Amino acid sequence: MKNVIFLFASILLLIPSSMTFGEEKVSEKNMVLLPVGNDPTISFRIWFKVGSQNDPAGKEGLAAITASMLTDASTQVNSYEQVLDKLFPLAADYSASTSVEQTIIYGRTHKDNIDEYYPLLMDAMLKPAFKQEDLDRIRSQALNYLENSMRYASDEELGKAILYNTIFAGSPYGHITTGLVESVKSITLDDIGNFYKKYYTADNVIVGLGGGYDAGLVEKIRKDLDALPKGAPKTVPKPKAKAINGLNVTIVDKDAQSTAISLGFPIDVLRGSKDYYALSIANSWLGQHRNSASHLYQVIREERGLNYGDYSYIENFPRGGGRMVPPQNVCRRQQIFEVWIRPVPNETKHFALRAALREVNNLVDKGMTESNFRLTRDFLKKFVLNYAPTTMERLGYALDDRFYGIKGSHLEIFRKMMDEIKLSDVNKALKKHLKTGNIQIAVVTKDAAGFREALINDAPSPITYKTPKPESVLNEDKEIIKYPIKVKPGNVTILKVADIFSK
Amino acid sequence: MVRFTLGLCLLLLAMTIIKSSAKSDSIFPYKYQKETLPNGLTVIMIPMESPGLVAYYSVVKTGSRDEVEPGKSGFAHFFEHMMFRGTKKYPAAVYDSIVKSIGASANAFTTDDLTAYHLNFAKEDLEKVIEIESDRFQNLDYEKTAFQTEAGAIYGEYRKNVTQPFSLLNETMQNTAYDVHTYKHTTMGFEADIKAMPEGYEYSKSFFKKFYRPDNVVILITGDIDPKATLDLIKKYYSSWEKGYVPPSVLPEPPQTAERTAEVSYPGKTLPIINIAYKGDALDPNNTDYVAARLLADLAFSENSDLYKKLVINEQKVQFISSSVPMNRDLPLFEVYSMVKKPEDLNYVRDEVYRTLEEFKTKPVDQKKLDDLKRRNKYGFLMALDAPDNVASSLTRLIAITGGIEVIDQLYKKSDTITPQDIMSAAKKYFTPERRTFVVLKGVQQ
Repeated sequence: MKNVIFLFASILLLIPSSMTFGEEKVSEKNMVLLPVGNDPTISFRIWFKVGSQNDPAGKEGLAAITASMLTDASTQVNSYEQVLDKLFPLAADYSASTSVEQTIIYGRTHKDNIDEYYPLLMDAMLKPAFKQEDLDRIRSQALNYLENSMRYASDEELGKAILYNTIFAGSPYGHITTGLVESVKSITLDDIGNFYKKYYTADNVIVGLGGGYDAGLVEKIRKDLDALPKGAPKTVPKPKAKAINGLNVTIVDKDAQSTAISLGFPIDVLRGSKDYYALSIANSWLGQHRNSASHLYQVIREERGLNYGDYSYIENFPRGGGRMVPPQNVCRRQQIFEVWIRPVPNETKHFALRAALREVNNLVDKGMTESNFRLTRDFLKKFVLNYAPTTMERLGYALDDRFYGIKGSHLEIFRKMMDEIKLSDVNKALKKHLKTGNIQIAVVTKDAAGFREALINDAPSPITYKTPKPESVLNEDKEIIKYPIKVKPGNVTILKVADIFSK
Repeated sequence: MVRFTLGLCLLLLAMTIIKSSAKSDSIFPYKYQKETLPNGLTVIMIPMESPGLVAYYSVVKTGSRDEVEPGKSGFAHFFEHMMFRGTKKYPAAVYDSIVKSIGASANAFTTDDLTAYHLNFAKEDLEKVIEIESDRFQNLDYEKTAFQTEAGAIYGEYRKNVTQPFSLLNETMQNTAYDVHTYKHTTMGFEADIKAMPEGYEYSKSFFKKFYRPDNVVILITGDIDPKATLDLIKKYYSSWEKGYVPPSVLPEPPQTAERTAEVSYPGKTLPIINIAYKGDALDPNNTDYVAARLLADLAFSENSDLYKKLVINEQKVQFISSSVPMNRDLPLFEVYSMVKKPEDLNYVRDEVYRTLEEFKTKPVDQKKLDDLKRRNKYGFLMALDAPDNVASSLTRLIAITGGIEVIDQLYKKSDTITPQDIMSAAKKYFTPERRTFVVLKGVQQ
């Protein structure tokens, strides 16, 4: 029975784009349907057009907490305990995922259980109870995440958060979705109720439905969600990142055993444009996520053994440590180019930073070679097949296509563009979009003051290895050690870890 | 991936329906074929119209459990990294470029009982994958310098993990609960052993000779495959691989006779976490107590349990509580974890766990709750099997431990027979103070 899922999915992927993801069946503007006839499961992705960019000032984290108050809390029909009791035998649940621009209520059930599952899912969105005890529990989780997990348990996630927060400081993108410690503490049930009324409206939702559902379910969900209030809130303007002037470094000072580094800058490229697919090829060669083919990985990890991996991105890729392929429904109108250097020994941080910047600059200056271009293009054409093997993932991509205004399917266009894009397109896009003179750098390390000195003096960063290295590596090291990365004294900021995610 | 025409798709659809109609009463929804070559290599093929996608897993039945020599903890995992360092025929850079040219998603992982290497790729590349995988499993060849450089990457992985409190907690728990069995160390290994890895070049060669043998490996292939043609390819490329697996002498852990405790300091800031562990039993679908204990753990600590509702939802004294009754080759720990919001509640939460387990010894569980759990387990298993890679990854551990997937039906059939009385018996057998180790982790910074 299950085998048929993939067959249908294949039909959806490979037939002409006008029919991809079943969108030809959509009769109304607020639905994305992905029927997969013999899929024994039904997938839901209910997208409300609200995210952390809509958090009011002083109430950062409100969008994420409101979403959790729908899916991880009591409804007017059932207490939270009853919800858990009812979902338990179904092996099904629903959750909320809030990103900067989107909130997705998603869940999946076996179709045998749809009659028991569906009312619970609808109650969560339509009849939330908003009880103080649920808020207390959810808030406590958010604070634990900010005060403990983010500050202390994962320096690489901390580094990435600092990178985004500094690039978008002062804009609606300028805080992580969980918010700030003080703002999370200040959120009240009234805040949540008002936020819900404003953003969870019938005109602010797109329903994603996939799998082996009956036609009647489409009508039912349409009718049920119509009970939400009418009206769509005003759209938040696309954020304007502040101009980065030269190399800007933010150092988080903590007693870290090793150093996590992230760096990047805004780029004006989104899925669907030709330059996106051209840059995808260059980026894949430079830093394909969690893949040993990544050139940065080869230089920093494979040849020198400095860390566990080194990757680059042209669109947001949260929770990269736990995923091999990109997530869905974390769309942004403003993306950044990003390099992720996993923790390196403290004494090699300056060297590793130089090595990464040198590779990025080399790529932009010299462009890809014909052979690397061909190899990477062929790789991507097949590799994207791994992006969405399940109905739930394809449904996620279908919603993403709606967000980016893509006619047809991004994944299908991706494969098609691999046949069309030429090396000259890639190298032109690199020069156009990757302005490597202005970069924001986030470093989590110990002895921040010492590193600041080294950076502003552009001091050489000699490296020694415990094990022998080939002549080619040692020769390249001579260039990396003194590779100029001049940072002006005014461009280095040192933060104490205990002050992060705080006003 | 070959572009299907719509006509071909419809043909395949018809074939699928015919196949589906022939399904047996097995809970595992796919037909599969299992073969063993004369050299002992087992091959399990699970065709599913995926379409055009194949998942290929090489499952080595060796993990950190087999690291019996002192000073060599973490070596199974280290060796997993070395398997990407190439052969004479396909040096690392060539292997990488082949994997890249076919657009495969490739990786590997190591656990206590197994090491698995996996690739997802388009079906037309199956022979190429079989060729390069069979080559590295038979002919791995690397220089000392490459070996020593990789040791640096391993230490980097350790550094990445060590900032997480759970790494430290698990390390302490295993070290405290076991005396002689190799489950005493984590898969990552002791830090001192990781630091010494660059000196282990010769040892690594012997590791390969001992454990990377066909009679210690299962090839699992799921997705869009023709089993007969696939088997022919496997025979072509793997038949020359010489058997010679030497099972390690893993010392059995003597029975624990008294409760153990430990406290560990986390150098950063965290809420305190407790881990309460009991010496359990190895995976055995015929062991009623073991199968009942798996159900008990969910009944006692999952989201709809009385204790979860009390501690997480009503009293809100903990961030979470969870449990684990794992599937292992030897005697694992049956564990309960909880992150406690206030240090002064640590003893209270610990005692609530003890009280709950005592209740399971004397009070039969509600039959409806037990039935709900059995229903949940079946639907949960079915829903997880939704792509070739998901099917393969769901089966890897079972295959490593038992050599096949027959154990799935055995486990579910046994589970169906479990009564409230069986749950009580399991509680009495496993959850005793003599089998227990209690570890608490506290953050140094407040």
